[in-house]
Amino acid sequence: MDAALKALAEPRRRAILKLVWSQELPATEIAAQFGDVSRPAISQHLAVLKEAELVTERRDGTRRLYRANPQTMAELRAFLDDYWTSGLERLRDAAEAAEDRKRKTPNKQTPTKQAPKKGEK
Amino acid sequence: MAELVREILIDATPETIWPFLVEPEQHLQWMGTEAELDPRPGGVYRVLVHGENPGVGEFVEVVPQEKVLFTFGWDIPEHPIPAGSTTVEISLHPEGEKTLVRLVHRGLPDDAVSDHTGGWDHFLDRLATAATGGDPGPDVR
Repeated sequence: MDAALKALAEPRRRAILKLVWSQELPATEIAAQFGDVSRPAISQHLAVLKEAELVTERRDGTRRLYRANPQTMAELRAFLDDYWTSGLERLRDAAEAAEDRKRKTPNKQTPTKQAPKKGEK
Repeated sequence: MAELVREILIDATPETIWPFLVEPEQHLQWMGTEAELDPRPGGVYRVLVHGENPGVGEFVEVVPQEKVLFTFGWDIPEHPIPAGSTTVEISLHPEGEKTLVRLVHRGLPDDAVSDHTGGWDHFLDRLATAATGGDPGPDVR
């Protein structure tokens, strides 16, 4: 996952990934989309993407064909999602435990039904 | 995922929940192993998860018991979401004796979005579609 995040930090690699998102393309055709970048540089980007398992490579004779690897993409998405989803679940558990303690000791500034609306400490 | 929204209903009042968002000691009960929080506009937000992966930004808006807004990103070289590059808003909505907590993680830095390759924003939208089983279709810009 770390490798995927790092691989995606490079704008050119994101552009390459988008090219092969829904179609498999040979390296030559990918390179042709980037007139300002050398062929070896594109090969290097493809190698990084492949290493990070963001794309898969297939050989067809002398050609190398690339396409996005949906599984790693889904994992990346899941990582970002999970960060907050699991965080909020733990927030709920911690806050409810705190609320329980408050409700069980009513003599200590119990909050009434409505929480104070503005600015009260 | 230009915008990620998560909601959770908590059986506690906003008064009880609030300190968990802005007080380091309480924050660590649900996220992070180290937290540095200075909950006022411009104040630091820094939460280390597992002693690393520092989530870093600064507070933008702090309305006690209602909402907190801070910038957010990861303080890791070459991370696609750099420190302070996105915003997270957590708001508290009382519902009877419970509270609906809504978290909205928004946006990407302008330089990423305006990037001529289409940017992270555009990319993540497609990523989200694909991850949920849809076909983002050919990428025609």
